[in-house]
Amino acid sequence: MPPAILIKIRKYLRPDGDKNAIRIRRRRKLIGALWASLPSVIVVLLAVGYLWMLSIPFPALGQRTYIDENALQPGQVNTHWNWDDVHRADRYLEALEQLRDRNASSVEVADYLATEFRRAGLSADTQEYSFFTTNGSKTGVNAYATFSSPRASGTEAMVISASWLSRTGEGDGTLNLRGVSTVLSLAWFLRGYSLWAKDLIFVVSDGYLEGMQAWVTEYHGVSQPNLQAEPLRLSSGVIWTALNIDYPGHSFSHLGVFFEGLNGRLPNQDLINSFQRISLYTGGVPMLVYDHRDDVEILGLPSWTPESIRDNSELKEYARRAKNVVRHVAYQARGQASGVHGLLHQFRIDAITLFAVPATGPHGFHAIGRIVESTLRTMNNLLERLHASFFFFLLVGPTTFLKIGSFLPSAVLISVAMMFCGLQGWVKAGWVWMLDEAQATKDEKVHKRVGNGRWSRRQRPVLKAVMVMAATHGLGVVVFYLLTRSWYLHNSTVAPLLVSSLLAVLPLTSLLLLPKQPAQEAPLPVMLKSLNLCLTSTVISILSVLNFSLAAVIAFLTGVPLCYASSSARSELRIAKYMAYTTLAFGWVALQRYEVLKAVANWELLGVWFAPFMCIVYAPLVLQAALVCLLPSESA
Amino acid sequence: MRLSVKSFLCSLCLGTLAVARLSEEFNEELHLRPLPDGKLAARFSFSTLLKGATPRHPETLGVEDESQLYTLFPLALGQILREYAVTELHLTLNAGNWNYDRWGYPDEPGVGTGAELWAWMGEGGTVTVDSRWRGLRNALAGLFCASLGSLDEQRTTSPVLTFQPEGSLPNGNASYQLRHATLPSEHVCTENLTPFLKLLPCKSLSGIASLLNPHKLFDADWHGLGVHVRYLESAGVEVRLAFQAVFDPVRAASDKRRDWSLSAVFDRRIERVCPVARSSVIRVRLPQNEVYAIIPSPSTMDKTYATYIVQEVGKPLDVAIIRPEETLFEYLIEPQTHISVHRTLNGASQHAGQLALTITNNHDIQLQTGYLETMPWLLQFYLHTLHAHIDGMPRDDLVKLISYIPPLPHVQPALLQAVLTLPPKTTLWLTMDVVKPFLAYTEHPPDAQRGWDLPPAVFVPFASQNGSETDSDPQLHAVLSDVRSTRMYTPVLLVDLATPDFSMPYNVIIMSCTLIALIFGMVFNLLTRQFVVVRVGEQSS
Repeated sequence: MPPAILIKIRKYLRPDGDKNAIRIRRRRKLIGALWASLPSVIVVLLAVGYLWMLSIPFPALGQRTYIDENALQPGQVNTHWNWDDVHRADRYLEALEQLRDRNASSVEVADYLATEFRRAGLSADTQEYSFFTTNGSKTGVNAYATFSSPRASGTEAMVISASWLSRTGEGDGTLNLRGVSTVLSLAWFLRGYSLWAKDLIFVVSDGYLEGMQAWVTEYHGVSQPNLQAEPLRLSSGVIWTALNIDYPGHSFSHLGVFFEGLNGRLPNQDLINSFQRISLYTGGVPMLVYDHRDDVEILGLPSWTPESIRDNSELKEYARRAKNVVRHVAYQARGQASGVHGLLHQFRIDAITLFAVPATGPHGFHAIGRIVESTLRTMNNLLERLHASFFFFLLVGPTTFLKIGSFLPSAVLISVAMMFCGLQGWVKAGWVWMLDEAQATKDEKVHKRVGNGRWSRRQRPVLKAVMVMAATHGLGVVVFYLLTRSWYLHNSTVAPLLVSSLLAVLPLTSLLLLPKQPAQEAPLPVMLKSLNLCLTSTVISILSVLNFSLAAVIAFLTGVPLCYASSSARSELRIAKYMAYTTLAFGWVALQRYEVLKAVANWELLGVWFAPFMCIVYAPLVLQAALVCLLPSESA
Repeated sequence: MRLSVKSFLCSLCLGTLAVARLSEEFNEELHLRPLPDGKLAARFSFSTLLKGATPRHPETLGVEDESQLYTLFPLALGQILREYAVTELHLTLNAGNWNYDRWGYPDEPGVGTGAELWAWMGEGGTVTVDSRWRGLRNALAGLFCASLGSLDEQRTTSPVLTFQPEGSLPNGNASYQLRHATLPSEHVCTENLTPFLKLLPCKSLSGIASLLNPHKLFDADWHGLGVHVRYLESAGVEVRLAFQAVFDPVRAASDKRRDWSLSAVFDRRIERVCPVARSSVIRVRLPQNEVYAIIPSPSTMDKTYATYIVQEVGKPLDVAIIRPEETLFEYLIEPQTHISVHRTLNGASQHAGQLALTITNNHDIQLQTGYLETMPWLLQFYLHTLHAHIDGMPRDDLVKLISYIPPLPHVQPALLQAVLTLPPKTTLWLTMDVVKPFLAYTEHPPDAQRGWDLPPAVFVPFASQNGSETDSDPQLHAVLSDVRSTRMYTPVLLVDLATPDFSMPYNVIIMSCTLIALIFGMVFNLLTRQFVVVRVGEQSS
């Protein structure tokens, strides 16, 4: 005879009676409990998602970077770049400074560069281009040269490039003269070796981004409707890797790496890791992520804070990583290229920008030449495209990164919360609590009785909700159309106000869609909210693998507001909520004019889909939530 | 003819060397030519003539062959030629891109990157041409340590217009077939040179061949070796072994000047002559309109050439050209050939693309050129999209006589031949849409992320068909006589086909196993479950 406690447990687990009935009852109880706790599940999911986002820069997370492709062998070669090459670079710099001082035109500069390339024994040519955008046209001349490597079949190529304008200030006019001199001197130096297995292409692009866009699209024979560019007369093989040199200052202390490409594309991490090791061990120059110096006071706390907080190394590390993550998200979410290298990613070229962080010393042409030479030798070792290492990563420090698995769930958890919330709304929209007994007994689909009312089925006006949603997306298209017109670009005060007032007023027309028989049909706001949440959740999930930063930003902005959008009885409150949500949706049109102009320019020049995405997808989704708040909810 | 071969072989059997020397003849020549961009082209040519011999007739393949006794003629190669009854054979193994614009036409026309093999073989007998071609490929692969076995049916074509026999074909009434294949990804290195040297009577021990120093040859900007076998009706069977290289004296020199000498370029001098060579000649093309000195003094010399007869001049021989007045060499390049060709594969997608060619006529007279693509099925042409443009204006009338054999996936390559007319001093743009097929995962090479090398296109500029026009214009006549029957190879291309991540199979196996397990569980559950009505309500209340 077993002990009594065991019998009790067994009785609890296997009570007497019909086994199947017990099972069905248990299952119902479980579903009931889940349904009852769904609001708290949603809260928990949202909280975990937001906290996860905040904990991405946590020093305990992340792992050391490593070289995945064995062929790379970074830093394993003797470099030959020497002081006479530095001297040559200095001579080129003097010549370029003379050109700058006498305000030479693009044509003159490009001709000078092509002549110098030719004197080095390379095939060189220039390429004229003009872009036509709503903000006027941009013209320029690129100079480029190809070196067909001895003994190589010329089927693969590496690009060494420098843009005429530095990335400092996003091409606000700071010249990249030392970068260009480095490329010229490298051209002379690199052709003296027979060890290259790939062709070398030297490109000095005019302007900041536009020159390279003209060059790289022509190289791949892709036409862009608003671009008129000379076809390239010289060709080479398939470009696998590219280094862009940006050296605006007199000397530098660190080399910063910029790696974000158009539309959130990233190069293979092996390239960054090899460069980091070569820079540190061959050139003796520490690498930075962006131009974030690690020696500056990172926290910037006032002096009255306790020393234990100010000097906390964990906190400092958190702040340092957070700075890198925020910068990364700012580039990637906007789909913006953080340098000229970013334009190459669209053609499957792994490229980074080496940014010589301006400082009073100690490094100059000697260090950068050796580092570029050694990095090229490493890239030269490749037998295949870079494919071994990560394409999805978050570089939180020069040697620390996060794998996709450790940051992707943050956005996805919020998206799951939204999906649960939306499905909850869908179920709720199908049922109504009827108080009238007499009417309810006629209804066939009576399931449950509580107190003196009952749950009964009602219709869900899906079509109406979908029409409202389609109309908001249509409005998004209109907004995008307006933003890309020249009158918007030129009227800096009137146009944004006009567009925003249009946006505020037009959605009010949805008030006309009120249902005539409120009892038979679920109210429109409930339906709208449910569908809106499901759609937003889907968009975030899909986006999270295309462009994580953008997905995270959208999830961060819309997670709570969309889940907790609701109508209320008081019309003043409704209007206030509507205004708040509309500001979240379209506020940037009026408030962030500079950002709007930049996004539109990026769309027209480089095909960055951030601007259309914000207009046609993001803003309408929030606007739908605004309508949820605005429309009166009759059932209440 | 047959009688003379027999008597010659008999004499060999008797071991009378004097007779043998009369029947076999070995000549060697080195041609050195400065190029306009400061480089130096060197062409070694070693030819062995088997006097009075004829290629084996394919109908005698079933019966036992005559014994082969040679003193100078390479036996290893002779056996292959007889075994597969090959009349004419050309094998080239090249590394690098021949830069026509800077270097002009090469001395040996076969400069396509990688391996190229073409052979003319007679028909008839019990063994088919294709099976002999397969045997020939494998035999040569073994002889030269090259991956010629990969030149399989998927790469073999028969472009008879472009690859006409260079010698004569015996038995005028018999029919002959051409087999041609290229392998652009093949690399040439020492393991190919060593068997090549073994075919020479003096190896690399003496004579001109002693300059063949692999350390220097394989450091050259361009280098390639070739084996050419042809039958000359009046002479016999000739085997010519050729090595061609383009050196860069400027790169090698510490003072960055383009003076060169044999010892600087090859790191060797000619210490002694090859005793069996009938002639052994070094010809040096002299710089024009420049101040220079050539040492030692040549045997004979005219305006364009200095000639050294190696037997006559003092040894060790170290030919050198010095330009005492030149301190810094300035590059100045004009196109050196009649036409310049660029070929690119446009488009960034892994599904479709566009093959684009720009062909520039550098002369001020109209030229015509044959255009040949032997494309493996890895790139499939949409022939209806083949269009020609000049300065943006459609000029499809300039593309004539298109012949096209479509590819058979996994079986045979495409063969596209056309004749292009090039107006004077213009650039013709030729574009054609292509589609990239999807490969089975077993068809990918080990380094799958590299892509596939595509063979070069071949251009043959030729005389206008209108003969009278050619005769009337002396300038045109001069140009065309220079152009005639020179093959020009474009650089090879690399195509990216859709490539799976090959770590993927594990993920795929795990994923699909999980899915199958889940589906099986559900179906099994449904199939074995009994459906009954359960009263729940009564018990719950």
